[in-house]
Amino acid sequence: MIVEKLVVSKVLVLDDTRTQFDSMKVFCEECGLVGIRPQHGDEASVMAILESNVDLGGILLYENFGGEPGRGLELARKIHESRPELPIFLRRDSVASVAGFHEKDAAMFRCAYTQADLQQLRTSLDASIFSRAYPTDLVRGITEMTRASLETLFPNCDIDIETPYLVKDRIIYGEVFTLIAIDSNWCRGYMMLQAAEDEVMGLIRRGAGSEGETMTFRELNNVLGEATNMVWGSFKNRYVGQNDSRHEQMQTQVPIIINHHRNYISFGSEDPQLCLKYTLRERNQPNAVSVSIFQRFVFNLNWSPEDFKENPSVESLVNSGELEMF
Amino acid sequence: MAQVLVVDDSSTVRNEVGGFLAANGLTVAFAVDGRDGLEKMKADPSIKLAMCDVNMPNMDGLTMAEKIRSDLKNGTVNIIMLTTENSPAMKDRGKAAGIKGWIVKPFNGAAVLSSIKKLVS
Repeated sequence: MIVEKLVVSKVLVLDDTRTQFDSMKVFCEECGLVGIRPQHGDEASVMAILESNVDLGGILLYENFGGEPGRGLELARKIHESRPELPIFLRRDSVASVAGFHEKDAAMFRCAYTQADLQQLRTSLDASIFSRAYPTDLVRGITEMTRASLETLFPNCDIDIETPYLVKDRIIYGEVFTLIAIDSNWCRGYMMLQAAEDEVMGLIRRGAGSEGETMTFRELNNVLGEATNMVWGSFKNRYVGQNDSRHEQMQTQVPIIINHHRNYISFGSEDPQLCLKYTLRERNQPNAVSVSIFQRFVFNLNWSPEDFKENPSVESLVNSGELEMF
Repeated sequence: MAQVLVVDDSSTVRNEVGGFLAANGLTVAFAVDGRDGLEKMKADPSIKLAMCDVNMPNMDGLTMAEKIRSDLKNGTVNIIMLTTENSPAMKDRGKAAGIKGWIVKPFNGAAVLSSIKKLVS
């Protein structure tokens, strides 16, 4: 099984040292990181990004970000208090360690590194963000089957898919999400689809023509529910073994915690989640706003990619949609 | 009085399949899960064909098919599964319950209409 870096991760780059920009950009590309910089370096702008749905894998922070010595540490405290699940990697000018920090401050950082030696950062990134390897065939298969399901349910839309990425965020996107369990010998967890209600309702109503005028949020629930069902079914047909003996494993469960007020969901695991973003654009409506649906895979109960395998082709002589008579 | 019973917990699927069948001259009844499907079968002896999902709350489609045969003692109604499932084990269980056919979603009305009409006639 070949495991390539087909998946990337978004990191918030809080480093305003201009001489480092080019080398940081190259480093990020080499590591599979997509860097996001705030437009302004003040605390309010940074926290606004963290509260929005950027789906971050981590934060690269310079100890003197903002031009003031030690400001990075103050910012790290605010970030860590608000989003403790996001790993912070601290760049320091001369010392590649958190020596001299109070114990509580030192614990906020996954590592401290200097620009002269990025290997420590690379190792820490692998351990913190890229700690899970997702088989290439799995990731490609997921995008294929999800695209097919969305194309069936939104036949008036073209669908774009971003490069899949790893996320440590626990923030829920939008107002509606579906959740379905996935069980096999090699993985156990959940799949989520998340969407903003108004945006998807608009798509559904316009696609339904005059019948759309009377549609309510329940139709959105049904459509997203069916999308979830179709993806889950395809995943099961393709990747869940017919003879998976998982009875004992299936006895374990952990609580899922949802905080509606904070748009937060936790599955009890700190491992990065595989996230895919699907953008739906209505054909023949050049002025229509594109609509995003986010898909997350949270294998919090079991993850054994060494046992991953694809089932033999299930299409056999009958394609989906056709009747196989017995 | 209906010719076809569409059983699926998804109203999106019920509307899609039922709307297609009705537009092609068939009378359609609906059920939201296997338990509801059994009740509808019991109440309407004119139903000639049941098209059922497998994964539904309260009672799944294969259990419903088995109970149509065993509890309702109805050995004549034709049953087709319309589902995301495609495993040989499930199909074997369906065959043992006397189902006539299996469609893996998504539904392709044009491809199956003539077969459906034969099963209803």
